[in-house]
Amino acid sequence: MSAAAAPPILEVDRVTMRFGGIVANSEVSFSVREGEIYAIIGPNGAGKTTLFNAITGIYQPTEGHVRFKGRPVRRLFTVGVVLRSLLIGAATALATSVAVNVTPLWIASIDAHMVYGESFPWMEALASFGRELRAAQQGLGWIVLLVGFVLGVGAHQVLWFNARRTPDLIARAGVARTFQNIRLFGEMTLLENVLVGMHARLHTGFWSSLLRLPRFFTERRVAEHEAMELLRFAGLEARADQAARSLPYGLQRRLEIARALASRPSVLLLDEPAAGMNPTETVELMDLIRRIRDRGVTVVLIEHHMRVVMGVSDRIVVLNFGRRIAEGTPEQIRCDPQCIEAYLGREELG
Amino acid sequence: MTQRSSPFARLLRLDVALLIAAACVPLVDWLWVWIDPGSAPDLSNPLRQALVYAILALGLNVVTGFTGMLHLGMAAFMAIGAYAYAILTCDIYPFQFSFWSALALTSLVGVMAGVLLGAPTMALRGDYLAIVTLGFGEIVQDVLKNLDDITQGTQGINPLPGPVVGTYAFNSEQSTPWYWLYLAFLVLVVIACRNLERSRPGRAWLAIRGDELAARCMGIPVVRMKMMAFATGAAIAAVAGALWVSMFTSTGEPANYDFQVSILALCIVIVGGMGSITGVLVGALAMIGFANLLLPRATGFMQGQGWVTQASVFGNPNNWKYLVFGLVLVLMMRFRPDGILPRGVGSGGTGRGAAARRGAQA
Repeated sequence: MSAAAAPPILEVDRVTMRFGGIVANSEVSFSVREGEIYAIIGPNGAGKTTLFNAITGIYQPTEGHVRFKGRPVRRLFTVGVVLRSLLIGAATALATSVAVNVTPLWIASIDAHMVYGESFPWMEALASFGRELRAAQQGLGWIVLLVGFVLGVGAHQVLWFNARRTPDLIARAGVARTFQNIRLFGEMTLLENVLVGMHARLHTGFWSSLLRLPRFFTERRVAEHEAMELLRFAGLEARADQAARSLPYGLQRRLEIARALASRPSVLLLDEPAAGMNPTETVELMDLIRRIRDRGVTVVLIEHHMRVVMGVSDRIVVLNFGRRIAEGTPEQIRCDPQCIEAYLGREELG
Repeated sequence: MTQRSSPFARLLRLDVALLIAAACVPLVDWLWVWIDPGSAPDLSNPLRQALVYAILALGLNVVTGFTGMLHLGMAAFMAIGAYAYAILTCDIYPFQFSFWSALALTSLVGVMAGVLLGAPTMALRGDYLAIVTLGFGEIVQDVLKNLDDITQGTQGINPLPGPVVGTYAFNSEQSTPWYWLYLAFLVLVVIACRNLERSRPGRAWLAIRGDELAARCMGIPVVRMKMMAFATGAAIAAVAGALWVSMFTSTGEPANYDFQVSILALCIVIVGGMGSITGVLVGALAMIGFANLLLPRATGFMQGQGWVTQASVFGNPNNWKYLVFGLVLVLMMRFRPDGILPRGVGSGGTGRGAAARRGAQA
């Protein structure tokens, strides 16, 4: 592989994850190069899945950074955000003022001009509305405006801050994942599962779906064709119309991979893809992982199956008690005394 | 799989069959009178309410059935729709829109109300959202009652105009045309829901219901999609409210849009089958048909036999309606928690895989 020369695509930089007093990850660093298969191994509870959750935005690292293609994936605090915040604040302020004074406003603009059976003087009503609204700002009325403004800006800022690094943003940027405990959409067919994975790449919106505009049919044809190709790639084509939950365990894992690939990620995170698989399925899985890499997707996997790890990985990082204890090629890891002590040693003895 | 696409096989689908059966109800009434001129058959009047409740429940189905958000304040959006329609059309206000333009504006008001409530609350999970919507339902009632300079308080707003189609003006003397009108709207809403369900937004909603975290990790902007579902449901509920009050020519008092309306809509969705459009139709027929058709007849029969008196609990259908509803819910939860007609696997387009393969070969 030319992976050694390739630039890093995913960098985990001194990431610490703390939950109360429990430290799940402590200053873990590694970088994954473009086009390689990178394995994260370690005994149970070493913090591997926590690390995946921190990378995909489910958790925010307590300390440290995750960089994808050289920069952290997060929404930037741009002028647009400030403008939108101010706009929402102004709208909330105005709406609050109108809401507080709704009865006098209504009486001044509508009731005062409404004569049953005669045409309504809209311009005068509008003028009265404006006058009354201005009059409402006299005295302590400005407090209402201020409260509305602060409420609007504050709420928008809080929501924006909480949403600045969300899993969907990271997924759209090009990091897809599977889950340790399979999380398929069980009630949906295999095809629909893959189509959900394609969500971010498709464009059919509310109106073209509702009205079945030509755009809808064009995109459906292309999307379903591509989804079937992905199912074929994962060897699931024949079952496309079955419910996902009716699949045997090993195939569910393959479907999860197909669904993750549907977003055309640059990096695919696999969380114990071989768990619960029999030896034949494991060999097929190793082949699948290599074929994914050959499609140009960088693969990061968490795995306990040493055959898989040693068989497919280009490089391996070893975690123990939330700390990184070693990194290297499979041969280096196999001989690393610390790893043998922490992890491999026990397995070889057993 | 292939015969699904033939138009004839479509008639065999249960939802289509139900709507066709609903269209036959007024014909049954006519036929009845024709055979027995002395009788006064009355099927379409009680079932008319089922059509409106079916529309309301389909709106709720988008929120609760597709997206999995528990919504206990659907009546509030119905009330907002009813009052928006009333203020836009009634001749004591200056706006005086026609039925159709007012209806379009009403659905917009519904969307706005949905977005206003949704924007700060869509990030809430499960139970919290249920409590917020519950509270919203109560607040809307109180606001409508207390803003009596605008909403006429407990008197309700009247008179309200009905639609004019061609030269025919809908009026309160003839009730059958309203039945057709409601049925037409129900068909439109069913088609709209089905189109949404079998498309990208619908799949995203169902994915959020199935597993929100997985949906998030697939790149679905969960909050935005939830907002979309919430606003769609609100718009449908608002239209249902406007349709309902236009027949009565009055909004009635705000207390008409109370928690029981929300709960009845929720019961229809749960009894019918969460997320299943056909289920909602069956649920509306079962619940409202029971309350409006079966119950009065059973009460009348028992009184005729001298089993019960006016004063006893069973003397008035409204008295023991909720008793039976409650019992039905308990039994449903015990024996058929997924509803009468649960959402089938692949309801989002059965056999699309086969279709895609055929498309690839062609």
